[in-house]
Amino acid sequence: MAGSERNIFAGSRRDFLKAAAVGTVGSAFGPAAGWSATKTLSLMHESSFIKAYDQFFQKNLAPAYEKATGIKVNYELASVGGLQTRVATVAETGSGPDLTLNFFTWPFLYNEKYLDVGGIAKEAGEKNGGWYDAAKEAVIVGGTWKAVPFGNVGQLMCWRQDWFHEAGYDKFPETWDELLEAGTKLKAAGHPIGFELGHGFGDNHGWLYPLLWSYGGKEMEPDGKTVAIDSDETARAIDMARKLFKQTMNEEVLGWTDANNNKAWFSEQICCTNNAASILFVAKRDFPDIAKVTQHALNPKGPTGQRFHILAPWSHSIFTHTPDPEAAREFLRWLMQPEQVGAWYASAETYYAPYLHAYDNAPMWSTDPRWVPYRDSIATSHLPGWPAPISRASSESVAKYVVVDMFAKACAGASTKDVIAQAVAQLKQIYRVA
Amino acid sequence: MVHGHGWTGRALRLWLPLGFFLIVTLFPFYWMAITSLKPNAELYSTKVMPLIVHHPTLKHYVDLLTETSFLQWTWNTTIIAVVSTAISLVFGSMLAYPLARMNFPGGALIAFTVAATYLVPQPLLFIPLADIINRLGLGNTLTSVILTYPTMLVPFCAWLLMGYFKTVPRDLEDAARIDGATRTQTMVRVILPLCTPGFISAGIFAFTLAQNEFLYALIFLTNTDVRTVPVGAIAELVRGDVFYWGQLMAAALLGSVPVAIIYSFFVEHYVAGLTSGSVKA
Repeated sequence: MAGSERNIFAGSRRDFLKAAAVGTVGSAFGPAAGWSATKTLSLMHESSFIKAYDQFFQKNLAPAYEKATGIKVNYELASVGGLQTRVATVAETGSGPDLTLNFFTWPFLYNEKYLDVGGIAKEAGEKNGGWYDAAKEAVIVGGTWKAVPFGNVGQLMCWRQDWFHEAGYDKFPETWDELLEAGTKLKAAGHPIGFELGHGFGDNHGWLYPLLWSYGGKEMEPDGKTVAIDSDETARAIDMARKLFKQTMNEEVLGWTDANNNKAWFSEQICCTNNAASILFVAKRDFPDIAKVTQHALNPKGPTGQRFHILAPWSHSIFTHTPDPEAAREFLRWLMQPEQVGAWYASAETYYAPYLHAYDNAPMWSTDPRWVPYRDSIATSHLPGWPAPISRASSESVAKYVVVDMFAKACAGASTKDVIAQAVAQLKQIYRVA
Repeated sequence: MVHGHGWTGRALRLWLPLGFFLIVTLFPFYWMAITSLKPNAELYSTKVMPLIVHHPTLKHYVDLLTETSFLQWTWNTTIIAVVSTAISLVFGSMLAYPLARMNFPGGALIAFTVAATYLVPQPLLFIPLADIINRLGLGNTLTSVILTYPTMLVPFCAWLLMGYFKTVPRDLEDAARIDGATRTQTMVRVILPLCTPGFISAGIFAFTLAQNEFLYALIFLTNTDVRTVPVGAIAELVRGDVFYWGQLMAAALLGSVPVAIIYSFFVEHYVAGLTSGSVKA
């Protein structure tokens, strides 16, 4: 990280938050007032897991922007799980809010309805040490930036330090083979591993795609036209998943969704799971004893010697129907300046890991070393479908749980050959491969 | 009517099945109640008997009422459900009466269309309805759902009321007409009062549907202060993979109270309304 970038974050996190909150009100970094006749803008978001994060926008950022420009920014919060329905409706009807938050591959799903925001994204990148490549993977559609990357909600290994220690492990296993060995001992000691194999929205993809990639497997070739999942690498990854399931887990994980592993963690039923940082956040708030022994680690490496993580990107887009595109762009440009976006990141501690390198050493990362793996995982994170180009077809594959079901069926007893054949048939249909 | 052979027979044929169904029916409410009264540590503990509350707390209720806009959501839900139900009953009866009591060309087709309209799934309608709501500038207002709920409630009420109107003897209507009443007067002063159980039944159903509706409320109401209980509870109490179970169950329990009270007052009329038309008059 450049020294000049580090200076932005000199001082404690609390000082930074205070300074940034004040800074947002100041005019030094504010856009020129009176450049537009627009009086209001609306930004759609989904209710954040971190309440302070939404409150920071409502109580600090929106008033600051209104004071600086006279433009009121409505922060419309959709229900958790309800934002995509809202985005689809707004995009289809061509009316409603001016800007929206995106998850995952939405810039690829609604790209015709989003404006090019390349100017803002490139400017933010140039001024802040550049973007992680993973961020670009999530927002550049056909060479055009359809969203400005915001942050990553990583999926990592969450493990019980005390139980691993009792089993003879003082750090998290480096490879899947080592995890299998450790997990076998831990299950025998009454502490099974719990990885989701059901139809949730994140914790299943969070370990299965990285497992597949770390064995050299992939759904499609980089050309996006050739199905590549029928390979020895995939077969070996499936065999590892099956062994992990049988030797380290209980059968109930086959029916788990994203809430189940959290519940099992707080019930002290499992020693390891793959999850976002939400477990530690909740543990610190409601289960302090469990919080003390909760640790995070990067996903294990596979036979390729590489480790991977699932990319869970948040980004912001501007709808084409906005009556004043320049006003919306100016707001997004203002939002991405360090005084605003830096404070917004900090309000959520590290839950939304910034995609800009300038924040690699931001004070928020030093509040607790257990957050740091979420930053370090970004460099090896990809969207489902990688290394093929992200597309509507890759989104459909995720929505139909092609990879998740391939692994889950194998764990439930189906043969490797059969589950791969089923995945191949589904992918051919989804990608329209003859 | 159960004809038992002594106490044992009666217990086996009546009380045992009745008890079973009572437990099945009430268990969700019991589960909601105990979950809402447990502290988080007990809620997640596998070491204590889950069917009993060991350390009851009202914290989840306090948090629900102080940290969320639950009371506002309840008020919104009540307003929306009452007004949309009233609109639907008025228009539903205006639609049902001629279809049930008058002969005119195309009547059967219209009756079929009413049923078909009710069967159109919401996911097919929400995008065009959203377009209309946005064009009218009604987004994020209670009016948006008060106007859209009747699109599903009017056909439902009309279909239910048609069956009830058909049970009223035509002689009463003919007598009123002979005495000089107009068609409207006959409907308002003779038929409708006789169909009170039908209206109660349709009203309770419509109220419940409006109160529980999720999709339109999710699409049209995004600001916290205009949300309904189902959408507000999900939006504020389910965050990512973290569920605030205690508050969710408290919200579900409190949210179900109004309907339970209404049911308890009108249960006899409700059953009468449901069974109308099942036997020829």
